[in-house]
Order: sequence, then structure tokens, then C-alpha cells
Amino acid sequence: MRAIRTVAVNVFRESVRDRVPYNLVLFAVMLIASSYLIGQLTAGQDVKIIKDLGLAATSVFGLFIAIFIGIGLVSKEVERRSIYALLSKPVSRAQFIAGKYAGLVLTLCVNVSVMAIALYAILAYMVWATHPASRAVWDAPGLDPALLKAIFLIFIELMLVTAIALFFSTFSSPILSAALTFGFYIAGHFNADLKNFDRVVDSKVAATLARGVYHVLPDLSAFDVKTEVVHGLPVAAAYIATTTAYGLAYVAGLLLIATFIFSRRDFK
Amino acid sequence: MIQRRDAVVLVGAAIAMASAITLQAARDRAYPRDQRADEQLLYVSSGAALNRITLAFDAVAADVYWIRAIQHYGGDRLAGPKAAAKYHLLYPLLDITTTLDPYFNIAYRFGAIFLSEAYPGGPGRPDQAVALLRKAIVAMPHKWQYYHDIGFVYYWRLHDYQTAALWFQRAAEKPNAPNWLPPLAASMLARGQDRTAARFLWQQIAKSEEAWLRQSAQRALVQLDALDQIDQLESLVNRFPPPAGERYSWPLLIAKRVLKGIPVDPAGAPYEIDPATGRVQVSQTSPLYPMPEEPRRLQ
Amino acid sequence: MAAAIRIEALTKDYTVGFWRSRSYRALDRLSIDIEPGEVFGFLGPNGAGKTTTLKLLMQLIYPTSGRAEILGRPVGDIAVRQRIGYLPENPSFYDYLTAEELLGYFAQLFGYSSLERKARVAALLDRVGIGSERKLQLRKFSKGMIQRVGIAQALLNDPEVVFLDEPMSGLDPLGRRDVRALILELRDQGRTVFFSSHILADAEALCRRVAVVAGGRLAASGTLTDILAFQVRGWELVMSNVSREVLARVTPSVRRVTEISADRHALELSLDQAPDRILADLTAAGASLVSLNPIRDTLEDFFMKRVAEMGAGARAPLAEEARASH
Repeated sequence: MRAIRTVAVNVFRESVRDRVPYNLVLFAVMLIASSYLIGQLTAGQDVKIIKDLGLAATSVFGLFIAIFIGIGLVSKEVERRSIYALLSKPVSRAQFIAGKYAGLVLTLCVNVSVMAIALYAILAYMVWATHPASRAVWDAPGLDPALLKAIFLIFIELMLVTAIALFFSTFSSPILSAALTFGFYIAGHFNADLKNFDRVVDSKVAATLARGVYHVLPDLSAFDVKTEVVHGLPVAAAYIATTTAYGLAYVAGLLLIATFIFSRRDFK
Repeated sequence: MIQRRDAVVLVGAAIAMASAITLQAARDRAYPRDQRADEQLLYVSSGAALNRITLAFDAVAADVYWIRAIQHYGGDRLAGPKAAAKYHLLYPLLDITTTLDPYFNIAYRFGAIFLSEAYPGGPGRPDQAVALLRKAIVAMPHKWQYYHDIGFVYYWRLHDYQTAALWFQRAAEKPNAPNWLPPLAASMLARGQDRTAARFLWQQIAKSEEAWLRQSAQRALVQLDALDQIDQLESLVNRFPPPAGERYSWPLLIAKRVLKGIPVDPAGAPYEIDPATGRVQVSQTSPLYPMPEEPRRLQ
Repeated sequence: MAAAIRIEALTKDYTVGFWRSRSYRALDRLSIDIEPGEVFGFLGPNGAGKTTTLKLLMQLIYPTSGRAEILGRPVGDIAVRQRIGYLPENPSFYDYLTAEELLGYFAQLFGYSSLERKARVAALLDRVGIGSERKLQLRKFSKGMIQRVGIAQALLNDPEVVFLDEPMSGLDPLGRRDVRALILELRDQGRTVFFSSHILADAEALCRRVAVVAGGRLAASGTLTDILAFQVRGWELVMSNVSREVLARVTPSVRRVTEISADRHALELSLDQAPDRILADLTAAGASLVSLNPIRDTLEDFFMKRVAEMGAGARAPLAEEARASH
């Protein structure tokens, strides 16, 4: 455990030295600028748009971090051969994988938390600046705690994408890993189509195959409750619980397979 | 060569993935997600295509299209009656907005009012308004406002009182529906168009928290006032017809001391009188133009 | 006493080629034992399999067959890593860390307390001669400084057995002298040092026993003197201030004379000529001694000879290795 924590903290330190936190500045600036501009334009829907933008940006920025750091987590160490000295220390290959993963998740956690705080700050300002009568029209309260549900599921989704990136990183080059991870991300969002294939297609074989692929691919669209939360529609706690458990189980599977692959590698 | 330790790891991975799939299936059973995906698969439209492209950012894309819809409407409206403003993109834009975000309440209500508004205030397409509202009902069947809005379009624009009453009745059955809906439906069936009912409907809308809905309602109420005034003016005109061979005109009536001056509508523009028939109408230069059609009464 | 390092028939094959169809043997049934407390030299030309062996011992790669033990435990045992240190060949670490942070990171993996970490890191950096640069990020370090950091991280945990892969590479003569002194210090402390090199002189200065590999095979192993004693081919005598007459007189009796500069000449004597006789002769004639060194086969010469002795079949892998080792 100590080894995992040590490796994880070093990953976090590397991300800070790689200037990852600057994306937070960009996020904050973007939100503030948008809230000012949008407010002038639409028919009283500015709070909805800010929530949409804030959640979407949290997801996108997090995605970029997850993919671009994730693909290099293992391959960079192997390529610049810093792994030689590291693996001669009392740390197993499994602990190495776990530590690298935990470190990137820690980075993402900090990132998402700061963005959540920034979003709530902007919303607080909007609530303060808006007349109570106009506020009554809003589908959901400005400082809606339900936003945290969406943010939480975004975080779990990012954990899953990170695991996918790390998995590819254990055996393929950064560019290929990036392409494959991004491909899985897109496929994971279209999977709703696969699930309902049997309604559109006649062949039973094709429908079963599609259903099978639906289950194997990561079900990323399930983590997207942004629309519901912004419109004040309910999201059941049980839904969040099972979806989170799904995400964590999938992550565990990916990390174990990655450990298996990585443990058998020769570092030439 | 697979050692025992590696085998354990692989078995662990298989168990993890199996539990993931089991959890996923269980959750799908308990919380089936929107079936709207099916309709979209069968109904090819740019909204559906966009839905694919925008992935998880439907809501943001919906916002973008909503902004475009408002700007399109505003731009065409400000261009004035002389320009060839047609509002031809309003329905597609609102349609896409609501395809991307089916819960976009304000887009539906905006469409209900402004799509059915007669030219030059809007494209004058009550059919499109109804189509959009039907979409709203599919997405949110429990909101009474959409049924009410459909009824309103049938009543105010299409003058189909039977259908309007039916929709008001349906609205009355929804949760939290206001209690003036059933008597309204009943009177509509009985008496068809009368200004009392119309005034009442618009007064309800005038209580809305949406500023532009209030403004539309207030304008409509003023138009109803103008209609009242026109009735009064026309009865005056008919009591004092011009001498044979002469044409109707305001100076004639002023000379007869029936009127003190040229009558103006509540917006301040002078009424026009048709020289041949004596019918009074609101001037084309008046802000109240175009006036709503005055349909026939049932009796 | 049990061997500190035991290598038994260790073999490593790589599959090469586009379809992974051809097999290439990087290490062929290597067997050696290293005693505790000795400095053991693992010699061979570039591409002989030295680094392959060290990587197999660190379990960075897996053997095709054979086995190895360190301190009685099979290679790859995590617990034993607490007691060993490793310096990779041409090491590279993390650009964005400072020297202190890197050592601190590794020290954490050993489980030392915060106080102990600080003490060890400071002491080791002092020992390898890194001063205030220790606060700079490693990306600013020269090759020689990285090598020193590498040595420091190998000694972080007071290891009982130290593995050094080409420890002198990248160092200037001063640095090499320091490393030699350090290795002797480690020996005096009772540690076992296993180091690989292609420079004979290093082994001569430090080791009692060596193993020589070529083409992936063990060419010779035993004490240094046994293996290389017969290597001396002659003597090189460098004299200054040799007058022309003296030079002309001496020239026929030596194998070769080279003029290094106007004032300095190198005389090559054959093995049977006792160099002290000619030295006395020249000194009496007014010349001064600059240096006297034995001329020996280079390690490469030795290997070529040995390899040829071992059989023609061994040649092919050697050539391939030179290509593959880049």
C-alpha cells in the first residue's frame, strides 16, 4: 500500500509540474466570460446555459486530462527507461500499475472539485444578481445540490476513461493509445443504439451480437445525467449507486487485465 | 507460460467484468432510459443526426440552437414589415432545440405563441405550433401547460372550438391544472368565440413569470380592447350614414358632432374607416397591426 | 558460505523479424556464482550479453530457461529488493524532479521515515559529489551528474549486494577515479559488488575474480591473473631527451620506435626483452623515463581469440549482436 501511495503522489506531482492545473484557470475564465455574455442574450435561460456549460466543460477538460496523461502513464516510463531503476526497488509491477492509476485519479479528483467550486461560485453570483420573480421560472434552483450528482457521475466516468487509457498504455504507443481510448469513448456513448438494435433490425443474430457488444463496451452514456439535473428532474440514488458500482467493477477488470499484460512484459 | 499468479489475476479480471455487466443489466431493468432513441432511429431528421454528433453535450447544443432561434425571430421581427422576413427557420430551429433537449420547456412555449402568430409578427403557422407542442407532450406528458397551449392555438388561431374545448378538457385532467379550465372548456363548446373567454385566457397568460409571454398577452388584451372600440365605432357609423352619394369618413361624423376628433386606438394610432363600406379597422401603421381575426359566433 | 548471487544456466532468446519467426539467443546457459563480500567484474565487449544478464537479475526481462538467485531468494522476490541496489546502464530518471526529490521518492519506496530519508539523501549526495545542484531539476544535469545520481540511488538502502551496469560510463577521469574509490569502499564495508564493464583496466584495479562473456556465452571465469596473465605482449617504454645517437644505437634491438614529439620517443619492446636493461642503458646516456607500461591484447583481441577457440559457430551471434545492440 505504501508503494502504491508513493507512486501515486509522484504521478500527481508530475501532473502539477506539467502545468495541468492551468486548465482550471482557463475553465474559470471561460465560465465567467460566458455567464456575462449569455446573460445579455437569451430569454431568461442564462442559469440553465451556465449549468450546461459548466458541466460540459468539466467533462471535456477532465476527458482531455484523463486521455492525454493516461496514455503516457506507463509508456512514458518505459520509453525513457526510468522504469529500470524504479522496478529494482521494493515495488511490484502490480503496485506500479495501481499507483499510476491512483495518481491520475487523484489529479482528476482535484481538478473536478475545483471546477465544481468555481461553478457553484458563478451560480451563487447569478442567484444573488437575479430578481426572485425571475428565479421562480428556473426549472431547478440556481445553487442546486443535485448538480453534485451529475458532477459525481462525471468523475466516475473519468475514472473509467482513465482506466481504459492506462490499459492501452501498458502495451501500445501513446498515439495508438490515444486513438483507441478516444474510440472507446465515442463507442461508449453511442451504445444506446446497440441496445435497441433489435427494434430496428430483423436479423436475430445481428441483434444478439449488438446486444453483446453493448454489454462489453463501457456504458458511458449512463453516466450522463446532466440534462436531468439541469432541468430539475429526479435522479434516483439507487441509479447513481448501481451505475457507480458498474463503473468501479469495470475499472477493476481493466486494471487487472493491465496488470496481467504488464507483468509479462520484457523491458528491452 | 502462464504462472499461477497470472492466472489468478486473469480470473479476477473476468469476475470484475462479469459483475460490471450484471450491474449494468440490473440497472437498465430498474431504470430504463429514454425510449426516445427509438423514435429518432426511425425518424431521420437533422435533429437526430445532431444528437449523434453531440454525444453527451446535447444540452449545450440545445442551448446553442435556442439562442439561434431567438435571434432568428428577433432579427426578422426587427427587420420590419417591409423586409421579406419570413421566419422560415423558426420551426426547424425550435424543432432541433427540442430534439436535442426534449425537456426544454421554454422552447415549446415560445414556439406555441410565436409560430402561430400571424405575419408579420410571426410565420403564421399554427400547424407547426401544434406539432411542436405534441412533441412536448411526448416528452413531458404530465404538464398541463402544453395541452392548454394546443387548445389555445386551436381556439385563437384556428377557430376550431370543438377541438380547443377537447384540449382544454385534457389539460384539466393533468396534475396541478388550474380550476378555470373545465368551465372554460364548457363555455367554449356552448358559445364558441367570444371576447370574454378570449380575454380570460389572455389574462391568465398575462400572469406568467416569463416577460415576453406577459408582453404578448398584454398586447393581445389591448387588441381585444381595440376590437371593442371598433364595435362601438361601427355602430355609431351605422347610425349616422353619410348622405346619398357621399363616402364614409371621419370628418363627416365630426361635423355631425358624433365624434370629437379622429378616433385613435389604444396604441395611439388613428382608426381607419373604409370609405365605401364604413367598416372601421386598425391602421397598418399601428403597433397593434395585424389584429386577430374576428371569427363568427356560434349564434 | 552461500553464494550472494547464483546464476544457473540462464538463457534468454528473443524472437525477431516481422513475423517473430527468427529466434536470436542473447544469453546462452550462463552459470556463475558470486561470493559474498567480493567485487566481481563482469566483462565483455559491447553486445556480449552483460546488460541482458543484469536485466534478468533485476527481472526487467524474463529468462527463456535457467534460474538465478540473489541472497538465496529467487530473482524477482520483492523482499530481497530491500537489500540490493541497482545502477542501470546509461540511467535516465524523471526530468521534472530534482536530485533530492528523486532520491526522496526512492527512499519512500524503501519505507524510511521522513527524518531518515532526509539524512540518507543528504549523505549520499555528498558522497557522490553533488552539491547545491541537488536542488536543480534533473533535466539540467549533465550525463556525468546523472551517473552520479544513479550511483547514489543504488546505495540508498545500504544494500548488501550492489549491481552496477557500466558504472564508469559518462564520467571524466576524475569521476572514474572517484567511482573506483567508492567501489573499494563498498568492498571494505563487506558488501558484494557485481559490476559490468568493457574496460579491462577498471576490472584490473578492482576485482579479484571476473567472468568474461562474448556472443552471449561465458568465455572464461576465474581470477583475473589466471585469465589474463599470458596476455602481455610486450612493453612500451616512453623516454624523453633521447639524443639522436642513442636512438640510432637502440633502434635495431627494439621492435619499434615511434616519435611522439621532438623530445619524446616511444619504444616498443618484445616480451623476452627485459625492459630494465634498456632503461638503465638509456638513463645512463642521459635520457629520462616518462612511462613504462605493459602492452597487452585488448579485451576485444582476447575475446576474438577466445571465441575463435570456442568454435566457429559462435561468430555469427557476435556479428548479429553488434548490430542488435546499437
